[in-house]
Amino acid sequence: MSAAPAAASAASAGRRQYDLGFARWVYQHVEGGDKVAMCMQCGMCSGSCPIGTAMDHGPRKLFMMIRAGMKEAVLTSNTIWNCTQCYNCVVRCPRKVPVTAILQSLATVAVKEGYAPTQSTPKFSKAFWLSVARFGRTDERLVTALYYFSHGLKEGIRRALENLPIALRMIKAGRMHLGLPHRAKGAADLRAILAKAEDIERAERAGGKPS
Amino acid sequence: MSDPKAGAKTYTYYPGCSSQASAIHLDKSLRAVAPKLGIALEEIEDWNCCGASVGHVEGGALPQTALSGRNLAKARQQGSHDVLTACAACYLNTHGVNEKIKQDVRTRARVNQALGAADLKYDGDLNVRHACEVLVNDVGLERIKGQVVNPLKGLKVAGYVGCQTVRPFAATQSGGEYDTYDQPEFLDNFAEACGAEAVAYDPKTSCCGGSVSVHSPDKTLHLIKQIVEAAVEAGADVIATPCPLCQQNVEMYQDAINKKFGTSFNLPVVFYSQLMAVAFGMDAKADAALDANMIAPVKLVELAKKAAG
Repeated sequence: MSAAPAAASAASAGRRQYDLGFARWVYQHVEGGDKVAMCMQCGMCSGSCPIGTAMDHGPRKLFMMIRAGMKEAVLTSNTIWNCTQCYNCVVRCPRKVPVTAILQSLATVAVKEGYAPTQSTPKFSKAFWLSVARFGRTDERLVTALYYFSHGLKEGIRRALENLPIALRMIKAGRMHLGLPHRAKGAADLRAILAKAEDIERAERAGGKPS
Repeated sequence: MSDPKAGAKTYTYYPGCSSQASAIHLDKSLRAVAPKLGIALEEIEDWNCCGASVGHVEGGALPQTALSGRNLAKARQQGSHDVLTACAACYLNTHGVNEKIKQDVRTRARVNQALGAADLKYDGDLNVRHACEVLVNDVGLERIKGQVVNPLKGLKVAGYVGCQTVRPFAATQSGGEYDTYDQPEFLDNFAEACGAEAVAYDPKTSCCGGSVSVHSPDKTLHLIKQIVEAAVEAGADVIATPCPLCQQNVEMYQDAINKKFGTSFNLPVVFYSQLMAVAFGMDAKADAALDANMIAPVKLVELAKKAAG
């Protein structure tokens, strides 16, 4: 798995810019991906998006790019990372395309395929999942600290200091948990369930990896 | 009420992770007002995180789904009461997974295969409901009004619903068809039932940026600015919301917004259940948890004091 910087062009990363099998792969392996074929390019999704102006491409365009086989451009676009999951597009789409679920699946694929080494969301998700898988619960304080320092020691300290006033106010308001992390008693059981779920997905992927 | 004899209906309660930290005041005030509204909450024993809106990226789709699968299996072991959650993300995930397990044979099989690793199973025979939907459909405004002993007279409330409390399920059959996606009225109705004035407020279902605001606020501060600005312009004393992440984002970033945009916002953001606890004449701290708001809801605190005094 070669990890291409997200900003690098497809050509410089040595990957093919077009992959004509990509659309079919998305239809078959991305949750709700078959519905991409239903998109009629009306633009209701992009027009409804609260953060559309900050996206490389709105969902409408991204779906056309999937159909055009632009795998590189799709998986390196910030569209999949900037989705706030407001579900405006989902409830408004006249063709009932599950836009959010598709962007979520593409995000998971992008991480697994090494397309997103510098994105914030995967770093945050990594910190988040560590807490969930270990304790069975989210420890907001731990997740925040792990996330800040995933950018390196210096940047971690900078972010921690920048957000210190908020942290102090949260402590004062009794909303930052200060003891050992809360944990589910059955955290070990949960880990067994998660490991099994990963196994199932791994086996399924072995039968249908994106080319 | 479905159980008029007992006067209370039991729900299996899923508090979620934020109930133990950032949204401690939602959990506290909801538990306080619930008995007065005929709601008996039985917590899911040993619940786990739902994965919120970011778990799938690192964890993968099926592990994320299995998180809710375990909670549902645990809830089912405790009985067949409806599962109630007050957190928007918990509701989105738990309700969504539950419906998928009900409707999709393949998902049900895969989730149960994973749950088998801990000798658990779940067949999809529970209903997962949002606290606000339960308040609308099971409790009703009349019963809420009936508990008000300290009407929130003169308090101007901007009802900020946010996204996932209503989207994508509020208008669906499984979601109880309790309101609309764009112009929900339930929150204003709650505020008015408490004796407050719900001001006209446009960005009712605008997005606060959700978890993107948590990890990359530079991308989303302008979204939160619009939410606060409209409330200030409408003359609101407080913003009220049902969502833990909305409450946190809209409250904690006001200083950063002031710095970036030269505004001077300092508007309290409270949960609807805190309004209810004060209106029901309950304790400002022990029940309404007003001390847990970073920006003190001064007018609400005064109203609570008036009732106590």
